Formats: sequence, structure tokens, C-alpha cells
Amino acid sequence: MTAGEFLNLLVAALLLAGIYATMSFGMTVIYGVMKIINLAHAGFMMLGAYFAYELYQRLGVDPILGSVLAIPVFFVLGVACYFLLVRWVPTSDQPTLPSLLLLFGLWLVLQNVGYSVWGNTDRSILTPFTLSTIRIGPVSISTLRAVVFAVAVLSLVVLQLVLTRTWFGRSVRALTQNKLAGQIVGIDTQRTAALTFGLGIAFAGMAGALLATLYSFNPDFGRPFLLRSFVIIVLGGLESFSGVAVGALILALVETFTILVVPAGYQVAISFALLVVALLVLPGGVASLFERRGRAA
Amino acid sequence: MSTQRARPRPLRRLGLVALATGLLVALTACGGGAPSGSSGATGSSGSSGAAPQGGAAQGGGAAGGGEVIKIGVVLPTSGREAKPGTYQWEGIQLAIKQVNDKGGVSVGGKKMKIEPVFYDDESDQAKSASLVERAMTADKVVAVIGGYSTALGQAESVMPDRYQVPWITPGAAASTIFSQGYQWTFGTLTPVSELGYTTGKFLGWLVDQGKLQKGLKIAMVLENTDHGVDYGNGIEQWLKENPGYFTVVFKENFELGAPDFSGLLQKVKNAGADIFLSDAHLQDYITMHRQYVQAGLYHQMVSYGARGPEKDARDALGDAVTGIFAGIWWSKNLPYPQVKKFIEDYKAAYGREPDSWYAATAYDAVRALVTAIEQAGSLDKTAIRDALRKVELKDSLLPGQVLKFEANGQLKAPFVIVQNKPGGKVDIVYPADAATGEVIAPIPKK
Repeated sequence: MTAGEFLNLLVAALLLAGIYATMSFGMTVIYGVMKIINLAHAGFMMLGAYFAYELYQRLGVDPILGSVLAIPVFFVLGVACYFLLVRWVPTSDQPTLPSLLLLFGLWLVLQNVGYSVWGNTDRSILTPFTLSTIRIGPVSISTLRAVVFAVAVLSLVVLQLVLTRTWFGRSVRALTQNKLAGQIVGIDTQRTAALTFGLGIAFAGMAGALLATLYSFNPDFGRPFLLRSFVIIVLGGLESFSGVAVGALILALVETFTILVVPAGYQVAISFALLVVALLVLPGGVASLFERRGRAA
Repeated sequence: MSTQRARPRPLRRLGLVALATGLLVALTACGGGAPSGSSGATGSSGSSGAAPQGGAAQGGGAAGGGEVIKIGVVLPTSGREAKPGTYQWEGIQLAIKQVNDKGGVSVGGKKMKIEPVFYDDESDQAKSASLVERAMTADKVVAVIGGYSTALGQAESVMPDRYQVPWITPGAAASTIFSQGYQWTFGTLTPVSELGYTTGKFLGWLVDQGKLQKGLKIAMVLENTDHGVDYGNGIEQWLKENPGYFTVVFKENFELGAPDFSGLLQKVKNAGADIFLSDAHLQDYITMHRQYVQAGLYHQMVSYGARGPEKDARDALGDAVTGIFAGIWWSKNLPYPQVKKFIEDYKAAYGREPDSWYAATAYDAVRALVTAIEQAGSLDKTAIRDALRKVELKDSLLPGQVLKFEANGQLKAPFVIVQNKPGGKVDIVYPADAATGEVIAPIPKK
């Protein structure tokens, strides 16, 4: 392999990591506070994709702008979902079966709503940037993948700022660390959980809208991404955004470079092998490694 | 205390993640099956529920006949396969109406009308199989037409031999259905291996025409499904029978619905092939070709198997799809008079032209069954099955115009090769006697 080919693959892996991180932040934020594995995440991503599509088709709104507009819309949708459905399921400091089944059911409902409204036709968004690339020497970078990567980095920065600089962020961190202690010091858990669920769904909607610029989609959209999100958040440590970014990078690097020696058909097997290894060897994810190093220092 | 608390956490987490993954995998198994020929049709879902439609037969003879012939139709008109299933149901209804309008089917000198008993399987494999069972047992139909998509067709295909009722699938073509030695199973969709074989034949014809050089190198990337395997086998079969034309320098499977093909396309690039042949579902075709263009790849000929001319792909990729060729089961541009009449009748009945091949194979399935019943001269199921084995429709809508089942029960008609042309045009380019335009070979380098 030439240096140029290696660089091309490295950039492709980085851009893929951006896609993976963008779609995983929403699941992580919900799990961190509520200890709920949001199986409906793919359903909201699918709705986000159609949201960008409809805005583009009907009003000519650029899908990147559509992804920004998706944030408040899906935030409200998420908060509504929380009050209508999620708050009624029993919560614990570990994920519970009722919440898992509720959100799995919600995903099926969203999928079937999608089939009813849009049918099973594959849709795509074609913009002047769809096929455009940025060339830097031997490296070719897809413009839209670069945008998604930039959004992933920006999201990580914004999330960290929200978590460290705002009252809501401090509440989230407190509840993530110890829910009971948080309640004792006066944190409104119901309100924080509602806002967190809204934030998670807002990220799912935004991710779906962004991914709609890269992939064709139908109401089943998001399933392969959801499987990978599991791997990423387990690798990342379930509750850490920077861990998720590292998890996304690890998975993207492994998938991209193992293809050179392993047939591409084994990509899913590689993802699941990583999931099993992470759960058995590093159940706290890569974030626990950072914590251990921090404590050792 | 702390050790007791610490130990179960990873295990509990492992259990819940495993459960969540299990739910996902279960959903994938239920609904994620690869349709054999779905190309993203449009329209709205049809009737729902498992209740049969079409009314009860009057009388009820020994074989479910009486004054009418009851035919079971099991197709998805709701769920993920609703659109193609609806189109197939429309083709069936049109054929039945035309037969009934002419007085019905001649059985032993007596004219009998056909009464379809329709069941919507809701794109669900388990429901699909149980509805076929119900049609063959409780509702006592003389034959069943059903099974759109490989997944649903496979589920249904175990019933015909069990209950000894003829079954014709107009929408499932995987070799796994027709290699089981079933005696009551028939299909009007040509096997996918034939798609690969026709692709090889077409490329060989281009060499013979002097449009491509002999000895070019082929790179093949195939989705890891029965569809992909059959396609690859078909190409290799032709290459084996015609040595010297091409050499396969790269062949690899890929994951269905993969989010990224950068690594795979890098390997394709490294292989230094002249022709790029992929077998992919529509979503993968769009994702892969987008990255193919972005990576600056070029091959003299490019194909994604049965994918290529879809409007969705052009909507997603614009002129980047120009030059791509595809093998398809049927085209409304086929220059046969019966195809033109079918399109006129279909438009009169439904107010639009048939979308893709779905209605055509279903329409011909009814015609084959009617011919078999007339030749059998009775509603005895064994006699109908035996007649189906000998049926030869010489005015078929399908390429080649002849519908005749092979020994395994499956039709083996030629595929039509179409090619995307500039400005959104799609031409039939092979076989030559059906061509509507000149083939572009090799594709010009941009």
C-alpha cells in the first residue's frame, strides 16, 4: 500500500468516525442520566432524515440547515415523548426491561408510521455537494462527510460546554454520578430527565438529517447504525461523550483497516467481536481507562 | 460488600445489551430479509389483515370448484413490501378480469369463472406461510399464487408439497427455493444466476462487436446474500463456458447496508480491473456508487446487477449513473405487441403504467395457471400440477416471449440489459432484437 492510499483510508476512517459519533451522542446522553437504552433511536433518526427531505423537497431548505432546524423540533418531540411514555416506566440505576421493551415498541410504531406516510420507496437528497470532494494532495475528502465530521466535533464541544458550564449540565452530571444524592441536594429529576430525553432525541433527529445527505433512506433507515451505536457506546463507556468519540474512532479505524486483510462481508462480525471484547475485558469502556490513569496520577 | 456490588454490574450490563441486541437481531430476521427484486416501487398499501377477500365459492366441488375456480393469492399489500406486493396483486387482478370477461376458464367443456381469494401477509414471513397453509387447507383453493420477495417466498415454499397444491411465485427467484426438489412449486421469475449469466453473455457480445477488448479484467463485489451468491455464480458459469474473454481478478462479498465502502473500493482500485460488477440492493448501490465517484474510480463498464435504472438512484446521484448497465426481468419498452397491449390495459385499469417488472410476472403467472387448468381439463390438483410442467405460453410478456417452466419448476427466460443514458433516458441495449438504443461501451472517462 502506498502512503497516499494509507492516508486516503485514514481520512476515510476519521470521517466515518464522525458519522458514528454523531449518531451515538443521542443514545449516550439518554443512557447517562436515565439509564435507558433508547432502542427507538433509529426511528427518530429515520424521522430526522425525512424531516430534512421534506424541507428540501417542499421549501428548498438545504439539508445541512435542515439538520440544524431538526434540533429544536426533535427536542420538543423528545420532551413530549418523555411525558407521554417514558416517565411512566420504572427507572433504576441500571437499564430496566420495561424501558427496553417500551422503546423497542416505539421504534416499531415509528417505522410503521413511516411506511404509512412515505411508503417503502428509497429516498435521497441530491444537492450540488452530493458528489463533490476536496482534494488535498493524494487525499480525496467527501465534502458532505467532512461537514458531518465537523458537526460531530462541534457537537462534542457544545455538549462538554453544556455539561460543565450550565446548571442543567451540572444536574445531568450529578444524576449520572448518583441519582439519589442528586435528589437530596434538590435537583428536579423529572425536569432534568425530560430535558435530557429531549436533548437525546434532538441529537437523533439531527444525526438522521445529516445522514440523509450521505445515504438513501426508507422507514427502515437506521438499523445498521443502531447496531454500531451499541458497539460505540459500550466501547466508549456508556456515559462519556469523549469516550463515545474515542469509541467511534476505534470502530471506524478497525472496520476500515481490517477490510484490507479480512473480506468486507465480515464487517458486522468485527463490530460484534469488538462489543463482546469490550464488555468482557473493559466493561467500563475506554473512559474507565482514562479514569484509572487519572486516579493513578 | 463492594466486590459483591461490583461483580454483577458488567454481567447485568452484558445481559441487557445482549437482550437489546437480540431484539434488534429478531427484528432484522423478521423484517430485514433481502427482497429478491425490490427496486423501491412507489404507491400505497393495499388491503390489510389476514382475512381472505374475494368472497366464498358457490357450490364447492371436490377440488374446491363448483361454478367458480378458487385461486388463493398471498401477497404483501401492507408492511415493507407493500408496494411491489400491491403491483403484483394488480397484475393478477387484471389477468383474472380479462379471463372472466371472456367467459372464464374452459374446464372439460364447461366455462368456469375464476374467483381469487386474497390474503395480505403484511410482509411477515410467518403470516405468509400460515396464510398459504390456510388457503390450501381450510379455503380449499385449487392453486396459490404468492410470495413476493425471496424471504416471503421461502417461507411459503414449504407448504405446496405438504398439501399437494400447486403454488406459483411471481416474485421470488432465489435458487434456495428451487433446489429443494419440490414437486408442486413453480416460479415466473427467472433465477438470479441467469442475471449473472446474461451479464457475462452481454459483455462477451460487446467483445464480439469490437466494443471491448478480449482479456479484460473483472472486479466483482457481491452482497452477502443468496442473491449475491447466485449472481456471482452466473457470471463465473459463463466465463467457464467461454474461456479467454475475461479474467476475474477480484471477488469479494460485502455486508448488506454497510455505512462505508471506502476500504472495499480501495481494494477494487488496487486490483486494477477494467470492468466493475457489483450485485447490490438499491441503498447499497447508491451509497457505493457515490463513494465510487468520490474516490475517482473508473472502469470501462460498470454494473450493480439488477440495479441501475431506478429513478431513486438518478434522484440521488444525478448524471453520475450514466453508463451503468443492469439486467432486469422485464421492461415496458420491450417491443412485443402483447407488452404494448398489457401496458394499455394496465393503464386503463389503474390509471398509470406498470412500475418495474412486478405486475408482468404476476400477470403471466395467472395466464400460465389458466392454460394449465384448461389443458388438465379438470380441477384435480395433480392434473393441474402435471399440466403446469408442460405449459408453454408463446405470447408471454417476458423477454424471449416464451414462458416454460424448467424441471425444477422455475422459469428460465433471458434477462434484458438496460443502460442509463444522458438526460435520464434508459435504453434496452441487449438482446439486439429488443434494443431501443445503441450501447455505450466503453463508458467515456470523465
